[in-house]
Amino acid sequence: MNRRKFLGYFGSAVALSVVPSSLSADDYRALKPKAWEAKTVEDAIKELFGSVEMIEKGVKIKLPSVASNGGAVPVKFSTKIPAKTVAIFQDANPESAVAVYNVGKYDLTQYSLKIKMGKSGTITVVVEGLDGKLYVGKQSLEVAAGGCEG
Amino acid sequence: MKVKAKLKNGVVKVKMMAKHAMSTYNQAEKKTGDRENANFITHLSGTVNDKVVIDISTSQFLSKNPIFQFKFKGDEFKSGDEFSMTWVDRKGKTKTKKVKIK
Repeated sequence: MNRRKFLGYFGSAVALSVVPSSLSADDYRALKPKAWEAKTVEDAIKELFGSVEMIEKGVKIKLPSVASNGGAVPVKFSTKIPAKTVAIFQDANPESAVAVYNVGKYDLTQYSLKIKMGKSGTITVVVEGLDGKLYVGKQSLEVAAGGCEG
Repeated sequence: MKVKAKLKNGVVKVKMMAKHAMSTYNQAEKKTGDRENANFITHLSGTVNDKVVIDISTSQFLSKNPIFQFKFKGDEFKSGDEFSMTWVDRKGKTKTKKVKIK
């Protein structure tokens, strides 16, 4: 590699690293805008991963069986499958996508967050493995008071 | 935004809360008559020493003032390293919080 070329490479690397990570190609909202508008879980999965062929194993979801407040339902989910992407969906709101985790090399794929549920429904977590296959886990819960109208 | 990061046995455990109304399209339509007034966090990312350790794209269905917990490998990091968490919302507002890993 000659010096000029090297400097060129170096320059572009610096330019890239200056861009905040939130604007990188990892933003699935920019990358797959349609997945966030999909009305059903199946459509959202199709838009996001290009397939709905899934293997039902290896994904753990922990939910309360009854959520008293639909505005903040605690959801814990994890997988031991070496993953590229982990996405969480529900079928109780107008659109179904909730969050997409872009799994980096440090990520241990054990997550917990609080979501809104308009009514009782099912949480679906899809894991895109490094092997290119999709793994899925599902769990239903009752919601006593909906959280989307508040 | 409140962030806590704790290193134990080679694993960094993070607990964070972002202060945000997280209004949905339906809520915005009801309150202001315009769906486009909806505003929610769309992306979060966390770094340690400029290495991305967590990267999440999110929708309007996270709770108000959403809470996240996650774990990442801490072998390359030590307590005292700076963990930086940033979120961006639909209107482009962004907030960053830096804490030392305990």
